[in-house]
Amino acid sequence: KPERAKSKGLRRNKTHVLSQEERVFFSRLLGTIMAHHNEDEGSIGTSMHGVTAREQVFSFSVQGEDDGPSSHTVRFDDPTAKFALPVDSEHRATAFKPFSFAKPHMRAFHLGWISFFTCFISTFAAAPLVPIIRDNLDLTKSDIGKAGVASVSGAIFSRLAMGAVCDLLGARYGTAFLLMLSAPTVFSISFVSDAGGYLSVRFMIGFCLATFVSCQYWTSVMFNGKIIGLVNGCAGGWGDMGGGVTQLLMPMVFHVIKLAGATPFTAWRIAFFIPGFLQVIMGILVLTLGQDLPDGNLSTLQKRGEVSKDKFTKVFWYAVLNYRTYVLFLLYGFSMGIEMTINNVISEYFFDRFQLELHTAGMIAASFGMANFFARPLGGYASDISARFFGMRGRLWTLWILQTSGGIFCVWLGRATSLPIAILSMMLFSVGVQAACGAIFGIVPFVSRRSLGLISGLTGAGGNFGSGLTQLIFFSSSRFHTADGLSLMGIMGMIFTLLVAFIHFPQWGSMFFGPTSDEKKSKEEHYYAAEWTEEEKRQGLHEGSLKFAENCRSERGRKAASDGSSPSTPPENGNPAHV
Amino acid sequence: MAIKKLLFASLLICSMIQSSHGATKERLFTDLEKGSLEITATPSRTGEGVVLAAGIDKLSITWKVSSTATKEPEFKTIKVKLCYAPVSQVDRPWRKTHNELFKDKSCPHKISSFSYDPTVKTAQSFDYTLERDIPTGTYYVRAYAVDAIDHEVAFGQSTNEAKTTNLFSVQAISGRHKSLDIASVCFSVFSVVALVVFFVNEKRKAKIEQSK
Repeated sequence: KPERAKSKGLRRNKTHVLSQEERVFFSRLLGTIMAHHNEDEGSIGTSMHGVTAREQVFSFSVQGEDDGPSSHTVRFDDPTAKFALPVDSEHRATAFKPFSFAKPHMRAFHLGWISFFTCFISTFAAAPLVPIIRDNLDLTKSDIGKAGVASVSGAIFSRLAMGAVCDLLGARYGTAFLLMLSAPTVFSISFVSDAGGYLSVRFMIGFCLATFVSCQYWTSVMFNGKIIGLVNGCAGGWGDMGGGVTQLLMPMVFHVIKLAGATPFTAWRIAFFIPGFLQVIMGILVLTLGQDLPDGNLSTLQKRGEVSKDKFTKVFWYAVLNYRTYVLFLLYGFSMGIEMTINNVISEYFFDRFQLELHTAGMIAASFGMANFFARPLGGYASDISARFFGMRGRLWTLWILQTSGGIFCVWLGRATSLPIAILSMMLFSVGVQAACGAIFGIVPFVSRRSLGLISGLTGAGGNFGSGLTQLIFFSSSRFHTADGLSLMGIMGMIFTLLVAFIHFPQWGSMFFGPTSDEKKSKEEHYYAAEWTEEEKRQGLHEGSLKFAENCRSERGRKAASDGSSPSTPPENGNPAHV
Repeated sequence: MAIKKLLFASLLICSMIQSSHGATKERLFTDLEKGSLEITATPSRTGEGVVLAAGIDKLSITWKVSSTATKEPEFKTIKVKLCYAPVSQVDRPWRKTHNELFKDKSCPHKISSFSYDPTVKTAQSFDYTLERDIPTGTYYVRAYAVDAIDHEVAFGQSTNEAKTTNLFSVQAISGRHKSLDIASVCFSVFSVVALVVFFVNEKRKAKIEQSK
């Protein structure tokens, strides 16, 4: 009898042992509820299965384990399943071993983040070579700026569509489709002969940034909810590093091709074949080595049970009604958005302003993007630590401090006239702004439970939007010197970061105000249950939200412990989903 | 911590780069003696609206020291450069003219550099084939006379002070190659076909398994 209970994820240590009838009854009830709750993130059109920080838990009180079922029901009763990592009842890994390539979990993790990394390389591959490209194609500053805007705009839409694609085809094909269908766009750079062609190709290449979604989707079906925050944070941060590595890789490749005898205006075109090859190779690796789900591939598994998905219109409605969605959209636009803008402009900036060699400028630009390796997880971690002491208020202040200091150092970077100071300010700026990205996703999971996937996706799209906007205003015309553009962008970022003060939770308060004194409204349950209509509540569809509400009482900070309310673990353990 | 090491290393490297710039900082273009060198640049093809092709067409450059030159004894080397006319600098801040010589970006393309022979007083000329990395634009030619410590002391240019006369246009090479285009198409096709093959294959296998 203990084995049976354990395999369902229940611990006997606390309250009751279920009798046979109870077990049958509850597992049927569970079946329906599970199907509902995991579908709110996964249903076609909600776009963001896989961007969630946590999967939901069972409706009745269970101490400890968080076994979230995935949207694709799998066989739990396979006795011969042998995995290299410890797994839960869904065969999702409960441990994260970054140095392992074991099938299927760690392999999926590595294939996922490397695919995302490769797409970042392709999207920003042109940036360090702009000094050569602008001479070849006779580009003006506005041409270069517009192409930069185009390179990040495509992903706004492709990211929103990607969740649906992954639902239909599975993470493997979602990733492979994106990689292998956008590889031709990378190769087509050899046909470009003017500003219009350059802009179109950069726009088309930019679509592949949606691999972020497929990567996070894949890790979410492979890893247990307890560690998904850390796993997604690493995948997101290490993928973002691609924007830095490309600044180093492309000038090096260009230089080698020139040494081999090609003239510069041909060499840069040949250099683009490298990201193209990487994409094709990764696509093939994903298809041959990867696996959609812990138990096998989507097409060879039988789907069991009815999977009724949450209505997209409802999920959309509650996301749109929640004002915090818009605040986060803008905030992320001035953290991730600024980061992507810098990926596009910083190499050219150092090349022109300090008269450096192409590969030296590339090296400096690369260190901006590579700081992501630790800076992003650091931000998420700082958010979690501050929440331990000060609850949600701590998270908000952490975000504000990180993003504002990022803005300050951005202003300093624009003002710097000597190279050492410029590099110093750039490094501090990179840590500030990238940690802010991590901190934002420390808050996103709490904004909504029902519409979490969509809000995460919208926040991510906000990053691309912010990048397009800042490039359009500050770096597309001769109105501002690039240095002034940087400083003004920093100031604009600091102004928008003030919006953090407007994020208010009735149950936890905000930066300056405490939680509401209203007895009913100050409960977490009230906030999360408000996303369900009475009819839905009667059907019990909101059970997952209630469980979540119970779990996030720790967002009250130290008071939660002294309140004597349930000392449950906070929903994130480490860093939540990163975009 | 990794960031401290990175910061320290980059500070160290960059302070070394920084110090090498110190010597040339304050020298201004306006300090140079104007018109010391008389220089003319004749394109191999002339005429209304003629655009020279990079890598193919030539410039015939003739120069001599002007009789009004006062700093002539200091001349050690003559550096001849291809410079952008104002029309090619519009909306392109990386080609901007600056008074500080080390900042000036308007003459980035080196044509030739040779030592100055004070004994030869007559005009000398040489041919220059436009390099294949010259961008599309409108240009003139300028020659700097450089002294023993590599400081510019005088200059002369093939156009007037307002840079409106005797300009010539160059069309850059496209950089495209048929072989590159073909390779690009081949790899693109391979990528799409490989994906389709995998997809179809897997669907077929799934059907077979389901029918079992």
